[in-house]
Formats: sequence, structure tokens, C-alpha cells
Amino acid sequence: MATSGNALSRFVAATILLFFVFGVFADGPIPALEGFLRLQTSRARLLSDFTAIGGTGAAFLNAGFVGLLGLLVLRLNKISLSGPTAAAIFTMLGFALFGKTLLNCIPILLGVSLSALLVGKQPREYVLIALFGTSLGPIISFVAFELGIPPFLAIPASLIIGTLVGIVIPPLAITMLHLHQGYCLYNVGLTAGFIGLFAASLPNAGGINIEIMTDWGQRADPWLILAVPLLGLLAVLMGLAAGPGRSWKEFLAIQKLSGRLPADYGELEGPGGALLNAGLLSLAYCGFVAAIGAPFNGPVIGGLMTVLGFGFFGKSLRNTLPVFAGLMAAALLFGKDLTESWVVLAFLFGTALAPLAGEFGVLVGMIAGFLHLVVVERTGAWHGGMSLYNNGFAGGLTATLIVSVIEWYRSNAKR
Amino acid sequence: MKRREFIVHLIGEVSSFILQGEPDKMVISLHQEPDGIHLAVVDDRVRSDAEIRNIEHSLNAARRPELAGYYGEMAGHDLLGASRLNLVGWQIKGAEVSRTAEGGLMLNLWIGGEGFEYGKFSLDAGAGHGAGGGKSV
Repeated sequence: MATSGNALSRFVAATILLFFVFGVFADGPIPALEGFLRLQTSRARLLSDFTAIGGTGAAFLNAGFVGLLGLLVLRLNKISLSGPTAAAIFTMLGFALFGKTLLNCIPILLGVSLSALLVGKQPREYVLIALFGTSLGPIISFVAFELGIPPFLAIPASLIIGTLVGIVIPPLAITMLHLHQGYCLYNVGLTAGFIGLFAASLPNAGGINIEIMTDWGQRADPWLILAVPLLGLLAVLMGLAAGPGRSWKEFLAIQKLSGRLPADYGELEGPGGALLNAGLLSLAYCGFVAAIGAPFNGPVIGGLMTVLGFGFFGKSLRNTLPVFAGLMAAALLFGKDLTESWVVLAFLFGTALAPLAGEFGVLVGMIAGFLHLVVVERTGAWHGGMSLYNNGFAGGLTATLIVSVIEWYRSNAKR
Repeated sequence: MKRREFIVHLIGEVSSFILQGEPDKMVISLHQEPDGIHLAVVDDRVRSDAEIRNIEHSLNAARRPELAGYYGEMAGHDLLGASRLNLVGWQIKGAEVSRTAEGGLMLNLWIGGEGFEYGKFSLDAGAGHGAGGGKSV
């Protein structure tokens, strides 16, 4: 839909521009550039908060460049911006505040394209897998900068390993899709966690201890606090500018959709409603982060950017609410500190399970949220932070469990 | 994906959609040529004009290679929940949706590569109408 593409293109362009402006002005251009260069050779496994490691300006600059790289990949593949591609770009932008760099994204993008060519497909058929697949960028940074190998060997080795990892992502992503049948929005998260298990086990077998990192910025930086609320507000205004009455009607229609993959809200209902949904959803979750007093640092903004992006592609206020309630029930029952890093991120990224609530109702959505919080605490250690989408991994496992039980019951219960 | 698997998945998704409407009758007809395929599906469930328009819209969705190559793999495979004709629409060359003489649904789907022109398909489109005699809406 051309109109949808135009409105989305303007919004994505505005977002990347805002990231560059914040990048330049937060700490000044020279420190930002120095920090940006430092981040390219920094470790990138979970949790590496780039706003703490490189500075606010450097993190925004890195994210802006990674977002531009995503757009370039879409342009080279002649794919226009739509709900799914926008979700991918926003996810890349967000995770470039805590793990993705230009250097560690490129080999994955190349590998996924090679994978398509290997089976006689066009790279554009796997472009979404490629963009989301940059989740495994930390493997490249790990080989290049953490293993302690001399740089003249480590850099080429990391690029080759990254490309090989990219080649195996598509077959696994398609297989994983069948496990949860599109009811977990972060399918590549499940895929990347699976690959991450092997990636972390190999060095471990060789006697290398992979320590869990907890870089978690605590600064109350106004640039960080303002970024997503400004974008949410802009999305709402752009949605209303498309025609307040029509956009509101489209927004209400979106609330009735299950959100199961692939639900391109702009195409299904209209661009104004999709913008309104994404904007209001991100503002609601910004309000939650502010209410519990969690810091607006790199990972938290990454989570909020992903909520914003998937507001065009599967998440809505209605279908995320039961999952949120389930997460909250588990957190209160088990006495978790709501401001602890992994708990905050679980609330933001756990909304990947929203289609379960959208399709099977409030109770299933709540169960999904509850189980997600229980399992996500453990999964990070399994892959040693090699995959940035740890919540996607846990969410995919949770969705697979729930979908399997529902399918078994529906297939076998007497009518 | 091999042609056989591709056809099986498309038939799976379309027949899942048809059966969701709980018809008394469903007929599937397939005709293959080297560079293209014609799939006709007929049922006897009466549908409203709005339903027919929605089906036509889903099946004639613009080609989305980035979705077809990835999420399109769910067609005819992942059937828990409502069936999704747009998964089929992204992967086919064209579709005609019409009513049979009895008021049921008739779907004519053409599948082929970039160069395939279903207007030149050697099988008379009417041959697929034998199951019900369709009339375009």
C-alpha cells in the first residue's frame, strides 16, 4: 500500500534523523565519534549497555548508522517499508544501543543473502530474516575482540564465522516458525537463541569461561529519557494528521486483530491507525518504565523501540495487556524487583507473546506472560548472551509450549 | 521448495479456509503445465458479497517477496487458528473469485513464475468451472 509506505517512510526517516541529532548534540560531535569508534571494537554480548560503555551520543550515533544500514539493505533488495520491515528497522535501531554495531551486523546480513542464493532464491526473500538475524552480531564481536586471538587472525575469523552463522539462520528460522505457528512475534529470537546455545557451548568446551555481563546504565540523561516519548508523540500526531476520524477507526479495528505473524497493520487496516497504535503503545510502555522508576538506558530504550516497531506488526494495546498482566502476576508472586534489569526487559520484550492473547483470549495471554517471566531468567545464561534477543528465545519457547498443548487438545478432544 | 510440496501447502491453506466455513461439499481440481498450475476449489456455502470481496482482496494481494519467502512457509502447514488466504495470495500469480450456480464459492488460482501469463494457460479456465459453473463477481 503506497500511502502506508509513504507515511511509514517519513516516520522511519524522522526516527533515524532524531537518533543522529541526539548522537551529535548529547555529548558533542567529537566525543560521540570517538565513542562510536570505540563501540565497534567493544564486546557486545548481553548486557552491554552502549550508553554506559561509549556514552549517550556514541550509542545514538551507532544506532543511527545501524538503522541506515538496514535501510540500505532494503533499498538494495528493492523492498519498500511496510509493517514488518519497519519493525525490523526499529528493532535494529533499538538493539544498536546495546549490542549491534555496523561491524557485527554486516557478516550476518551477507551470510543470510548467501543462504538465499545457495537454494536458488533471491536475497530479498530472506531480507527480514537478515535484518532480524543481526541479533547474533555479538558472536562476531566475541571472536574478534573477546577471545584474545591476535587481531590479524581474529578479525578475518570473526567475519567468516559471522557469515557462516548467517547462512544457517534461514533454515532454522523457518523451522522455528512452525514450532510456535506465528504466535511469538520474535521468531528470529527463538532461532538466534538456539544458535547461540551452540555458539556459547563451543568455546566453553575449549575451556573458555564465558562470563555474563551486566553493563546497565543508571544515569538520568534527558536525551535518553526523551527519545522514545518524542517518537511516540510524533507517531500519534502523524497518525492523526492522516485524518483523525479515519485513523481512530483504523486504530480500533487493529485492536480486534490477533496480531499473529504476519500482521501488517498498515496494510490490513490503514497507515493512520497503525501509526496511532504504535505511538500510543510506546507511550504506554514509556509510562510504565517511568512509573516503576527504571532507568531509560540503552537496553530499556531498545525494548521501547521494539515495542514501537512491532506496533506496526503484531502488537496492540489490547493484545499486549493480558501478557503484561501475566508478567506482573509472576513478578509479584515470586517477589521480583520490578526495576531489576532482566525484569524490566521481560516486561517490554515479553509482549512478543501478544498474539496468543489476541487469538486465544485473556487467560492464555496471562499464562503466557507468567511463564515467560519464569523462563527468561534462566535462558540468558544458556547462550551466554551471544544472542541479543534473549526474550525472543524465552518467548519462542513459551509460545511453543502453549501452542503445542492447544493444538493437541483441539486435534484430539472429542467434538 | 519443490513444486509438489508447494502445491500441497497451497491446497492445505485454501482447503483449511474452505472447511472453516463448514460446507457440505468441497471439490478441488488441479491442472499442471510445465510453467504454470491452475488450481480450482469449489464449495457449496453461500457467502455475502462482503465475504467474497475480502477473499478476492486477500488472494489478489500485491506480491510481497519478503513475506512470501519467510512467513509464506506457514501456508498449509501451521493451521492452528484462523486460516490466512493472504499467505497464498503473496505466492500466486493471480486469482478469480466467483459464485457457483448454487450460490457456493469458486476459486480459480494460477500459480507460476515471473514470466507465466495465466491468460495464455492452455487449459480453458471454464474447464475448472465444471464443478459448479462460476460467474465472476
